[in-house]
Amino acid sequence: MKIQLEDILKNGVAEIESADDLKTLDDLRIKYLGKSGALTTILRGMKDVAPEQRREIGSLANSVRENIENALSQKLADLENAKLLADMEKEKVDITEPSKGVKRGALHPLTRFNNKFMEICVEMGFTVIQGPEVETDYYNFEALNVPKNHPARDMQDSFYITDNILMRTQTSNMQIRAMEKMKPPFKVVCPGRVYRNDSDSSHSPIFNQFEALVVDENIGLKDLMMMIKEILKRLYGENIKIRVRPSYFPFTEPSIEIDATCQMCHGKGCNLCKGTGFSEFFAAGVVNPKVLEMSGIDSKKYSGFAFGPGIDRSVMVTNKIPNIKYLFKNDLRFLKQMR
Amino acid sequence: MKVSYNWLCDFVDLKNISPKEIAEKLTVSGFEVEDVLYMNEHLHDVFVGHIDKIEKHPQADRLVVCQVDVGFKKVQIVTSATNVFEGANVPVSLDGADLCNGVKIKPSNFRGVESDGMFCSGEELGIDDNYFDGAGVNGILILPNEFKPGTKIEDALMLNDVAFDINVTPNRSDCNSVIGIAHEICAMFGKKFKDFDVSYSTVSGDVNDFVKVSVETENCPRYMASYVKNIKLSRSPLWLRSRLFAVGIKPINTMVDITNYILVEQGQPMHAFDYKYLDGKKINVRQAKEGEKISVLNGNTYNLDKDVMVIADQNKPVVIAGVIGGVNSCINQNTTESVFECAVFDLKSVRLTAKKFGLRTDSSARYEKGVNINSPTLAMRRALHLVDKLGCGQIVGGIIDICSEKIGIKQKLTLSYSKIIKILGVDIPKEKVVEILSGLGVETSVSGDTLTCVPPLLREDLQNENDIAEEVIRIYGYDVYNDLDGGLFENSSITIGQFEPRLSMENNLKNILVDKGFYETLNYSLYTASACDKLLLSKDDERRKVITIANPISEDMSTVRTVMAHALLLDISSNLSVGNKDMRFFEVGRVYQPKSLPLTELPTENNRLSFAVCEKDYDFFQMKGLVEDLLVGFQISYTLKRSEQPFLHSGVSADLVANDGRVIGWFGKVHKSVLKNYDISQDVYYGELDTDFLASLPEKKYETKEISKFPPVERDLAIVVDENVTNEELVQAIKSACGKTCFDVQLFDIYRNNTLGEGKKSMAYKIVLSSDDKTLTGDEIANIMKRVLKGLQFRFGAKLRD
Repeated sequence: MKIQLEDILKNGVAEIESADDLKTLDDLRIKYLGKSGALTTILRGMKDVAPEQRREIGSLANSVRENIENALSQKLADLENAKLLADMEKEKVDITEPSKGVKRGALHPLTRFNNKFMEICVEMGFTVIQGPEVETDYYNFEALNVPKNHPARDMQDSFYITDNILMRTQTSNMQIRAMEKMKPPFKVVCPGRVYRNDSDSSHSPIFNQFEALVVDENIGLKDLMMMIKEILKRLYGENIKIRVRPSYFPFTEPSIEIDATCQMCHGKGCNLCKGTGFSEFFAAGVVNPKVLEMSGIDSKKYSGFAFGPGIDRSVMVTNKIPNIKYLFKNDLRFLKQMR
Repeated sequence: MKVSYNWLCDFVDLKNISPKEIAEKLTVSGFEVEDVLYMNEHLHDVFVGHIDKIEKHPQADRLVVCQVDVGFKKVQIVTSATNVFEGANVPVSLDGADLCNGVKIKPSNFRGVESDGMFCSGEELGIDDNYFDGAGVNGILILPNEFKPGTKIEDALMLNDVAFDINVTPNRSDCNSVIGIAHEICAMFGKKFKDFDVSYSTVSGDVNDFVKVSVETENCPRYMASYVKNIKLSRSPLWLRSRLFAVGIKPINTMVDITNYILVEQGQPMHAFDYKYLDGKKINVRQAKEGEKISVLNGNTYNLDKDVMVIADQNKPVVIAGVIGGVNSCINQNTTESVFECAVFDLKSVRLTAKKFGLRTDSSARYEKGVNINSPTLAMRRALHLVDKLGCGQIVGGIIDICSEKIGIKQKLTLSYSKIIKILGVDIPKEKVVEILSGLGVETSVSGDTLTCVPPLLREDLQNENDIAEEVIRIYGYDVYNDLDGGLFENSSITIGQFEPRLSMENNLKNILVDKGFYETLNYSLYTASACDKLLLSKDDERRKVITIANPISEDMSTVRTVMAHALLLDISSNLSVGNKDMRFFEVGRVYQPKSLPLTELPTENNRLSFAVCEKDYDFFQMKGLVEDLLVGFQISYTLKRSEQPFLHSGVSADLVANDGRVIGWFGKVHKSVLKNYDISQDVYYGELDTDFLASLPEKKYETKEISKFPPVERDLAIVVDENVTNEELVQAIKSACGKTCFDVQLFDIYRNNTLGEGKKSMAYKIVLSSDDKTLTGDEIANIMKRVLKGLQFRFGAKLRD
């Protein structure tokens, strides 16, 4: 009997180990542990075993049973695992196939630039404001020290609606609106659309500006320059260089234009910057005291400065946009490049 | 504004200062030089040559071989020109020359005979008869005998000047003149301005005996007149022609050239009348009368009215003041006596007149920039000086000067030095400030912090510390700021930054749309007047009240938009036309609705978000989901009503109606006729939201409650109802029948089939029931479901689907 049990153990474990599917394994379980299985049959014969041997044989039989059960469950786990792996192998995909689902679209490059610029300004303490695009002559010109028939109006051909109402030619109208509403010291910035009746092919009749105005005590041209330097650094990195040129705007005195390292060629010289390595970024100046006074701000106590980047041009340079007309053309082939 | 180097040399010593240096310095000091034009650019290697001998070419009948003395050597030139002769002086271009017409000269061989170069025509040297006699002939330019062989042609013909094209800013009208720019150059280079000669001799008589001047309009604050007789008109001397030519003015004759010379040099327009055509020997400066006409030098005749200022004689207008002269009274070959006008006209009046007639002359352009009241004083005398110098007439004593303003009075400014420094933020010592200002002709004295400044007569633009600060810094050099360091907020106060709430909210919406595959577009807010027609807006639609641009650039951009949809439909159309597919676009923009027309007050500018999809298999419910997602973050409840937008498909579109009944947006399929109007052959879904309204909503409050401890139960219910019963009605009915045990009701299937009966549909709902305080028993659930079905049967005639 002992020998029989040892044979069962030996053969059973060997057979279980060599089983290669669940069905075979189940058959083996029945063959050895089933109601008429080999081990069961032997255990049923225990009554014929001499009592002094019963303990020994019994414990041997139990151990054989345990070993076979262990072998069965081990094998079962192995086979199940193998099946999982086989199933998973079947699920293998070509990972280079295209992705599914709705693809993200994209913001317009102008929005990106505006948002970045606004963020920088807000961090520096500016309040973002918005105002009308259809504007009165007073806010667009007169209050900015450009009386009717002033030659400076030639610089800005306007779309008129009536004698007194026009499409704003500059976001500078918001300087006046801000000064009328807010108490100094304040810093405001206003992104917006402006309109010029300009038939020049390289200019768009509708374009974007970004007006910034600071009114405070004791500020001047140097403070303006420091702020502009900081903005340019945040936009284009520490290495940006600037160059100041004199200019003229009726509402600022002194008036300047600020060039910075051309972002198209990074200062090497290209078509856009006409080989100078610098391209125009900001028009700026110290607010003309006449303008402060007209808007009810005491020019003896307060001074101000204003600046505005050429947004469309900056967007072009930042994104290396080959043609300014792309900005309003909305061709999907262009927009998709902004993803 | 063009000025020339040689001309500037009359007023400032430019020895050792190159044109390039001048251009650079002018630009950094506020006078942007847009172009430097070298008149001799194409004249190098061209010399005066003397033809010693002409022989026939041995091989060619049409060519001759010339032996030519070019001073420093003898050369041989083969030419086909027929107007050359032995003993003639001609321009000879030699090896290396690069002529105005693009011809490059190299020695060459003409049928076996060497030619060292080429004779030149006037055209090849860039000149014509107006500049030099004989320059216009079809052949070689024959030069005067007195020209010395070997002289560079640019020197012989005085084509050695350099012109600067300067962009003069509107505040510096005084610099639209050679003397103005010369003053600036003096300040930049620390030179002294050389005064110019205004002396002349007169003959007996008095101007008042020849002409009477009266000024009857306030648009002419100053009118000066002088009288010149025994005029002998001729070509001006070469030096004078050279200067006019350099700045792009055609030389005509002495008298006309003098007026042009004064315009450029002094920045003062002048006019010369032919005296014999002045009826009554009178000059009357007045506004024109209705019905008056004038024929002017450009060949046109204009109808005048009271807004036009004219110079008239006793009977009729003879000049449109400051703009253009009449045909009859102008200097011509028979002129023997002339009245010179040197006046100041109001810039607004001249501007309006020039604009009205579309007439822009050198004179009107100058007047529009503003001529100083003091300008004629010296300009008139300078003109008479030239008359005398050129010997073109006799000047009768006296100058008529009618002036309604004070002249010769300099303003005195009392300014604070420390304020100037505060404006600049750069420490420039007092002495340096005084030095710079004195260089600009501003007489300056210092006492403590006080600067007393007396600007030159023509510098009306200098009025306060800011003006003076600008003068100081532009001469001192703006490059001081390039590398300046210092605290960012050294002088300014701390302020708290703040985003504009609507812009921030719009940015959130934009990001949702981008996540859902949309691309942002930018469109013009001006569009064609036909947009409202294309979008089928009804006659009485408010949005047909559009603002019209008075001076549009084109019909395409003639009205200010009142509807957003036009732009995105155009975008889709143009994208389809270039072969782009599957478009999801949005735009954030404004519509401008006038309160009344014609516009008397500013319109309402409404910010809107519009979005459109042109994509296969897209449908109404996808866009509905988009709209729900866009609105989910707002504190708002709204309902959907069938849309009333004329450009949407009435059966597949909805208006979003807020609680107060206000329509805050709409979406749906675009009307098929509209698509046709935009040449779009696929379905388009379009939607729009009022972002001003959304920005006005209070921030959304999120309040949560406890999750039930008891398990929810799901039951499916499929019923058959009439087609016209809506999902919303059924859901509401189910919810109310379930009472507070209702957790969720979801439609999961719609089925239509003839077996259900005509006009019927099957709607299948998943109903989730849950109680906050107990586990629902089977009986309770069955009762609820029974109640639901009974309610649906009662209200909608619903039947349980088999």
